[in-house]
Amino acid sequence: MIREARLRAGLTQTELGERTGRERSVIARWEQGAVSPSIDNLLDVVHACGFDLPLVLVTRDVAQDERLEANRKLSPERRVDRLLARLRAEERDNGG
Amino acid sequence: MWIDCLRDSAPKSGITVADSQPSFDPIALLAALDRHRVTYIVIGAFARVVQGTEEVTRGIDIVPSTREENLRRLDTALGELHASYAEGAEEAVADAGSSQAVRVLATDFGELKVVPRPVGTGGYDDLRRAATREPLGQGLRPSVASVGDLSRMLSALEREADLPKIKALRRLAELEMTRGIER
Repeated sequence: MIREARLRAGLTQTELGERTGRERSVIARWEQGAVSPSIDNLLDVVHACGFDLPLVLVTRDVAQDERLEANRKLSPERRVDRLLARLRAEERDNGG
Repeated sequence: MWIDCLRDSAPKSGITVADSQPSFDPIALLAALDRHRVTYIVIGAFARVVQGTEEVTRGIDIVPSTREENLRRLDTALGELHASYAEGAEEAVADAGSSQAVRVLATDFGELKVVPRPVGTGGYDDLRRAATREPLGQGLRPSVASVGDLSRMLSALEREADLPKIKALRRLAELEMTRGIER
């Protein structure tokens, strides 16, 4: 999320660090996921990039999580095979 | 010349408009680009599927390197693929989201969208940093945009309809990060 906001704002890690009064290495560790920022720090950095991050509670889609987890275990080749199988099935259903 | 496709001022006259939809064969399409040593990064719905989301698409979006030599190779590859402007291309261009001209082409193996600079990115040189080579079979290993960059491109479009896709990509990124920490 931090990397996405920074790149969309067209900033380097150093520039974002300067804007938020933090070392570049701190920004880098957050972006790499080596260390997780607090919510306050995350919002601070996102705001410094010119964006907002509305925090709202939504129902967690457990079924989607399970599907994504299952997809992750497939090879990229199998993922594409599955897409093509779905397209073929759609064509059959449509009488194509 | 097809390379003119990537220039905003390119005239469209003289280019045929496809009137039928061929069946989608992404492997054959990408293989043709590779045969001509075209340098590109796969983005869009097909890239998201390769990375692990569940979507249905009948086309491939690419961000080519806009170096002159590469555009010449792309030109040759598009000729081999019998590329022509896809029907309804104007609407699709508006939908693709790019700060430069997008060309939607019908080819022998399905739709190919050429996006020089997707919104929210700096184009090929920006995306290649985090792109990875993904094995798709038959020795094909195209460069595919990272989950983070795919999310960045979608969120830059600021379309509510894309929120479920962005959410899925973010979840994938979290799963990847968890796996990285577990290693």
